[in-house]
Amino acid sequence: MKILPFALRGLSRNTTRSIVTTGAMAFAGTIMIFYLSLLEGFTETFERNTVGMNTGNIQIHAKGYRDDPDLYNRIQNAGQIIKKLEAMGFAASPRLYGYGLAASGKASSGINLRGMNLEKEPTVTQLYKHILKGAWLDKADKHGVVIGGKLARTLGVGVGDELIIISQAADGSMANDLYIARGILKSVGEIIDRAGFFMTDDAFREVMVMPQGAHEIAVSTRNMRIELKTAVKMVSQTAQGYETLSWRKLLPVVARLIDNAKAGTIITLLIIYSAIGMVVLNAMLMSVFERIREFGVMKAIGVSPLQIIAVVFAEALLQASIASVIAFTAGLALSLHFQTYGIDLSTWTGSAVESSIGGVALDPVWYTHVTFDTVTMPLEFLLLIVGIAVIYPGVKAAVIQPVKAIHHQ
Amino acid sequence: MAVLRRAFPWLCLAALLPVCNGVWADEASKERAGVILREVDDLWRGESSHAVISMMIKTRHYTRKMKMEGWSKGKDSSLVVILTPLREKGTASLKSGSSVYSYLPRTDRTVRLTAGMMMSSWMGSHFTNDDLVKESRLSDDYEADITFEGKREGVDVIEFTLTPKPDAAVVWGEIVYLVRSDHLPLRALYFDEDMKLIRTMTFSKPEIMDDRLFPTVLRVTPQDKPDEFTELVYEKIKFNIGLDDAFFSIARLKRR
Amino acid sequence: MLFTMTWRNLSRRKRRTLISAFTVAGGVFFSVAFTATGDYAYTNMINTSATMGFGHVTVEPEGYNLSPTLQKRIGGANAIREKALKIEGVTDAIVRITGQAMFASAAKSVGGVFIAVDPSQESPENNIYLRSMVEGSMLDKTDGRQVVVGWKMAKKMNLRVGKKLVYTTTDINGEIVSEVGRISGIFKTGVDAVDGSIALIPIDKMRSILHYGPDEATLVSVFIDDQRFAGQMRDVIASSLAMKGVDILTWSQTQADMAGIIAIDRRMNYLSQFLVGLVIAAGILNTMFMSVLERKREFGIMMAVGMTPGRLFRLVLLESFWLGLLGVIMGALITIPAYIYMSNIGIDLSSLVEDGADVGGVLIDPIMKYRLYKQSVAAILSGVFTLTILAGLYPAFKAGRVAPVENLKIV
Repeated sequence: MKILPFALRGLSRNTTRSIVTTGAMAFAGTIMIFYLSLLEGFTETFERNTVGMNTGNIQIHAKGYRDDPDLYNRIQNAGQIIKKLEAMGFAASPRLYGYGLAASGKASSGINLRGMNLEKEPTVTQLYKHILKGAWLDKADKHGVVIGGKLARTLGVGVGDELIIISQAADGSMANDLYIARGILKSVGEIIDRAGFFMTDDAFREVMVMPQGAHEIAVSTRNMRIELKTAVKMVSQTAQGYETLSWRKLLPVVARLIDNAKAGTIITLLIIYSAIGMVVLNAMLMSVFERIREFGVMKAIGVSPLQIIAVVFAEALLQASIASVIAFTAGLALSLHFQTYGIDLSTWTGSAVESSIGGVALDPVWYTHVTFDTVTMPLEFLLLIVGIAVIYPGVKAAVIQPVKAIHHQ
Repeated sequence: MAVLRRAFPWLCLAALLPVCNGVWADEASKERAGVILREVDDLWRGESSHAVISMMIKTRHYTRKMKMEGWSKGKDSSLVVILTPLREKGTASLKSGSSVYSYLPRTDRTVRLTAGMMMSSWMGSHFTNDDLVKESRLSDDYEADITFEGKREGVDVIEFTLTPKPDAAVVWGEIVYLVRSDHLPLRALYFDEDMKLIRTMTFSKPEIMDDRLFPTVLRVTPQDKPDEFTELVYEKIKFNIGLDDAFFSIARLKRR
Repeated sequence: MLFTMTWRNLSRRKRRTLISAFTVAGGVFFSVAFTATGDYAYTNMINTSATMGFGHVTVEPEGYNLSPTLQKRIGGANAIREKALKIEGVTDAIVRITGQAMFASAAKSVGGVFIAVDPSQESPENNIYLRSMVEGSMLDKTDGRQVVVGWKMAKKMNLRVGKKLVYTTTDINGEIVSEVGRISGIFKTGVDAVDGSIALIPIDKMRSILHYGPDEATLVSVFIDDQRFAGQMRDVIASSLAMKGVDILTWSQTQADMAGIIAIDRRMNYLSQFLVGLVIAAGILNTMFMSVLERKREFGIMMAVGMTPGRLFRLVLLESFWLGLLGVIMGALITIPAYIYMSNIGIDLSSLVEDGADVGGVLIDPIMKYRLYKQSVAAILSGVFTLTILAGLYPAFKAGRVAPVENLKIV
């Protein structure tokens, strides 16, 4: 028996109803694609801002460094480790850290000195692009430094202004030197904004009298299609004797926020689809009951219960498929639009434009991010829910007793 | 200059106190110790000095040798300028009242130390900037008592115990000074409130400098890192050279 | 008559009516769940963070929020406090001095923040450190030498109750000043950063060290009974004080970190609710629409015997009205038991939250509970209800557009 023609006929019995039901499904599907893309955009931006801007996916430190950051507690063979990691496909960059005081003509403030490797750093983070005013570091300009936005304000300096820093060098002498602010960073996170003071690694080594070693190696998994856990294992084995941690352990607040957002998505998905499930259930039930005589006749002439279920399912799934196509097109279009233009939420809530969470700056403009999953998952779920919703009506239709049905009016 | 300061009261003590034997009565001894300290402080006021000192610092991470020239006047003013190594030549530390300034020749800038920097080490040594400021205002900050007089390891000594007054902003629980019977300082022990020894200062190689007997070598050792120390050696010192207050100013700092 | 007709129509298709009403009820339930859990968490966080130092509304020197220094202070602090306490809605007001300091013991020195307080003004309700005392006792004088510190700071400096602590800070003239204190109590909030850097000091003692005037302070922290009205209370306080040279800020400005997180969470919450609402509305629309289509013949006859399109419109709209009402009532019925449970007992999620997890310095409460404000209930119910009516508009409109003759043709 040809199921499809029967299903089509069933649907065309009451085209309006079919269209409306399909419409409802398409609407839900579109919304879910948009919602998932929005949330994906949010978490991805957030992750990018933290992981991609400064932290990297994974970091290596000497044991005990994180609890007690000491100039002397270094990774000695940083160069070797980085070579090995790069051979495996990772990108890695060594960082040098120190604490000190920066003073301009007008004010002074405590700072985090950061010596950056200019070749490797751009392979791991996007920080070098995140300049508000002026320019990023340059190997040739050893006295050019880049500072955080809030630090610039506190010290009252702009691009081209002079700064001195004072610290204790590795050999016990008083480290001090003059620098020119080459660039000021956009908001990255609390600590960098307030105290970030970036210089080339050569400049750091010179002023802090620290010819060797690094305090941190930031690692990026780049395009490697591996799980974070696997990556951590691989890096950890390469950096024997040191502590290797993923960004999730380093920034638990951010990790939790993203997890909560994802969990929230699933919950919302389920809720929305339950509503749709109800609608489909209702529509199919009505459709079945209206044609009870028809089904009775079909059974009387020998159509098996299984074939009846198949017809009912086919009707539902046909609608769902058409709805999916519509949702796919509309949802994709909507999401792609906002991927370029974004939604400016600062107008909605009117709350702080420069807000931050767990030390990471938040962008008030949300962009969607369309991925394979954000588009296919809602549609898969749709088909699933519809399939489940239609079980009851299908079974109901299948167990009809022909004689009773034919008498039904 | 901090160290010179610490040593000096004992020096003056040596000049003033008659050699005495026997243990003094408790009350009387406290009173006498207090009186002596106050006299020492009074003596200090108006006293000035000029010295050349070499300092050696040994820590886990580095060993440094420096030569410095220092001036002091009374309790409140001191100026230290580094002579060698060349890299740090001209770096100066000025104490005026309770403020400490650093002059850094490489950048030609003077920076006033903030509250946060007071606890960091002075010139990389085991002294803190705070040590420099908190000075041995001994009679202001501590109550003195003679706790022992007699022979120790064959040497006649007098032991003073200094207990901080309740209002004194000092971290120590107790300081125990040991001097020779002729009042040459031998040792100072710094304890926390649980009577745990935190650091030891030893005075040695006494020589006649200018007009007095003076311990020329001073060594500070932290108890928790016994391999580390900071040692000051006085190569030359002159007293009462008549310095005026204007000498200890920031402008002067720069011109050194 | 319309009334009976609506009911008849609805009860004809009991199952469909019930299912639709149920989706509305579901909407109410989820909306309450999302809103109430959010509000509980936010209110908790806001009230707790208020006790960390700034209160819900803070009166502080002009420009202090952007660049806090000890040189900035407000005068007549106690007068400000008195005035604030008289305002309705204010539950408490406290005068405090706060700033950075170095804390030192013989063993170690640590940088941190001091909060200078008047013990007679402080209580466990407005002071989280008091609330979290684990050893010793609070300061008892305004000018004594007692100091209360966090357990982590005490540990780092190797100190216990009774031991002394020297603190160094910068006074009003930029001079470095030191003072000695003895630890009288130790607190443990559970947030390491806080427990390792905060110390409480008697306010008059701090005033004399800093060379402040007798009634000067860094800020007056004002507490209100309902954190939702922080903005309005801020305005009331500002006009009541009518002072120059002060900034009066709400918690969202003084605890920007936490405010940011709450804002994000709220946005996501509303977004989810909005979408769910949309879909439920679509479902209702679907149902009503189909119901209208089915009754084309019936409507045709009604119109043929004189029923106006306008009345048909109202008929259908009334149906969706009743549907909405039914849904909301059902929603209330299923939500009430959940509400009772969640607002009193709640769900314990401590296995999912790590120890010491914090948001902007405030410890996260691992227990998920409801806190439903009257306004939220009203908003949810009316929102859902309105949505249902709106969903019924198009079908109602369609109902009236039916041409009688066409419909009578349907058999």
